[in-house]
Amino acid sequence: MKLDSSPARCLILACGNTLRNDDGIGPNLAEWAEERFEQDSNIRVIARQQFTPDLAEEIAAAESVLFIDSSVELRPGRVDFFPVIPRTANGGTATHQFDAPDLLALARDLYDSRSAHAMLLTVGAGSMELGESFSDEVEAALPRARGVIEKAVFRFLEN
Amino acid sequence: MSQTITIDPVTRLEGHGKITIHLNEAGDVENAHFHVTQVRGFERFSEGRPFYEMPSLMARICGICPVSHLVASAKACEAIMAVRIPHTAAQLRRMLNLAQMVQSHALSFFYLSSPDLLLGMETDPVQRSILGVAAANPELGRAGVGLRRFGQHIIELLGNKRIHPGWVVPGGVTEPLASAKRDEILAMIPEAYRNLSLALDAYKKIASTFKDEISAFANFPTNYLGLVNDDESIEFTDGALRLIDAKGATIEDGMTATRFTEVIGEAVEPYSYTKFAYYKPLGYPEGSYRVGPLARLNIVSKMGTPKAEVELVEFKQLAKGPVESSFYYHHARLVEMLYGIEKIEEILSDPKILDPHVRATAGVNRLEGAGQAEAPRGTLMHNYKVDENGKMLWANLVIATGQNNNAMNRGVLQAARHYVKDGKFTEGMLNRIEAVVRTFDPCLSCSSHAFGQMPLEVSLVDAGGATIDRVVRS
Repeated sequence: MKLDSSPARCLILACGNTLRNDDGIGPNLAEWAEERFEQDSNIRVIARQQFTPDLAEEIAAAESVLFIDSSVELRPGRVDFFPVIPRTANGGTATHQFDAPDLLALARDLYDSRSAHAMLLTVGAGSMELGESFSDEVEAALPRARGVIEKAVFRFLEN
Repeated sequence: MSQTITIDPVTRLEGHGKITIHLNEAGDVENAHFHVTQVRGFERFSEGRPFYEMPSLMARICGICPVSHLVASAKACEAIMAVRIPHTAAQLRRMLNLAQMVQSHALSFFYLSSPDLLLGMETDPVQRSILGVAAANPELGRAGVGLRRFGQHIIELLGNKRIHPGWVVPGGVTEPLASAKRDEILAMIPEAYRNLSLALDAYKKIASTFKDEISAFANFPTNYLGLVNDDESIEFTDGALRLIDAKGATIEDGMTATRFTEVIGEAVEPYSYTKFAYYKPLGYPEGSYRVGPLARLNIVSKMGTPKAEVELVEFKQLAKGPVESSFYYHHARLVEMLYGIEKIEEILSDPKILDPHVRATAGVNRLEGAGQAEAPRGTLMHNYKVDENGKMLWANLVIATGQNNNAMNRGVLQAARHYVKDGKFTEGMLNRIEAVVRTFDPCLSCSSHAFGQMPLEVSLVDAGGATIDRVVRS
């Protein structure tokens, strides 16, 4: 990933563990996005093993944010795409389990930042066992997930 | 009726642990333990690997302090190679180690402990988090994020990754520092100073409101161990170890890594996967000691950088001899962060830091090597044995958290006795007992290793909770 820390109009923020099979879908899609949008300085891509509080600063520096993560609550290979709402003040959170709503709340409270668009793309995981390969269902979902990312980024940049 | 109170898991720590508090029939605290409940096994599965793989392998022990393991491991390898690394490589490693110290201390202070310090120990747990801190004091929250970014970005610039960086190898580092990266780091320094100053001011304002916690948070005399330079200033990467007693008198000085392996033993207790380090000449547990920020500031007589020097003088006024209350780990952490920022600036201001000669090369020249460094949490030692071909035969790591283990357990018991009376306790009291452990900023993932055979207890319990059978392997 780039070390460039300059702000961008659209931030793609992915998380996942590439050593836990389908949990690696986030970093995989981030790597694809990094290549796909390499020439566009409006887009910044970050992939991390987990979402941490310091990412709130990155979110605050961008107009819009697209989160990408795997999900154990969806059937394997299902692609979901929906808006993210910042966590409310009384929601409660644990530092080890920071998620997209927590990050948006932190960006709001620390930097008075409200994203023009904040969306979450999740892909249902089939296997979270130790390994570096995707299940058949997640492998088959990749083209659809990439298509969602492309459309979302173009829509964010249009506005 | 006797009762056991269990806090499981202990929250806002790195790793997995639990606390048990045992009440007697009168409802008073009889005993308390801090249990580390995870097992890693790095020392065993590294057997058979080429020794030069060890730094990158050992860095995977932890995601917060991998640089400490990189440095200590590389030094153990260099002892096997019998090489002295180039001066520029030593300075670059020092800078990387300090950057890690800054970001790790920022994590501990801002993300893990500031919810208690800023919002109060009794605050609703739902509020008592980094989100609560952000809502209550966004300026302090931004300072914490900024300091963590400072340390992590330096690690990423030097080692190419902010977590599990490479770059540090046996013999030195893989490539010299480019001037553009040096300039980028120097440009970050002013903001780091501003953020640290804000944090120090905030801490000093609120510390005085925690008199009760200061008196009850692992507040007792112990020995202390840490690295020192020849000029008595603090050191994190080279230097030699000094062990002092509870009054501040030196027990042993000039300890090399080899000497460390001779005089530091590790005891095992049945209730934890983390060992209990002790100074062998004094026996166990009398030879137990503390390491980390509190110990380091108790040992040194100067910091060696101007701003941190002023803070050290103020810190030492907290007590006539060594500062004993573990609550003051928080204060010491902030002083060390200030030192880290100053020292990084000083290292980068030397033109020789761009020198291209950054690696020494050699093969196996000794069959055993040990390396030591200061991790954010305290002294870390790696000891390896290899065959003539450099294949790993044996490894032993002595981790900071294991060296603080005795004090953490005593601290948990002290706090439990202070706050739990007549069998009555509140959530805030239990949070305080957890907060004692947080002052040490333990790294439980680093600290738990197999010791030959692990002590293991298997209990068979019926539906009513009664123990039917029990097997113990000690």
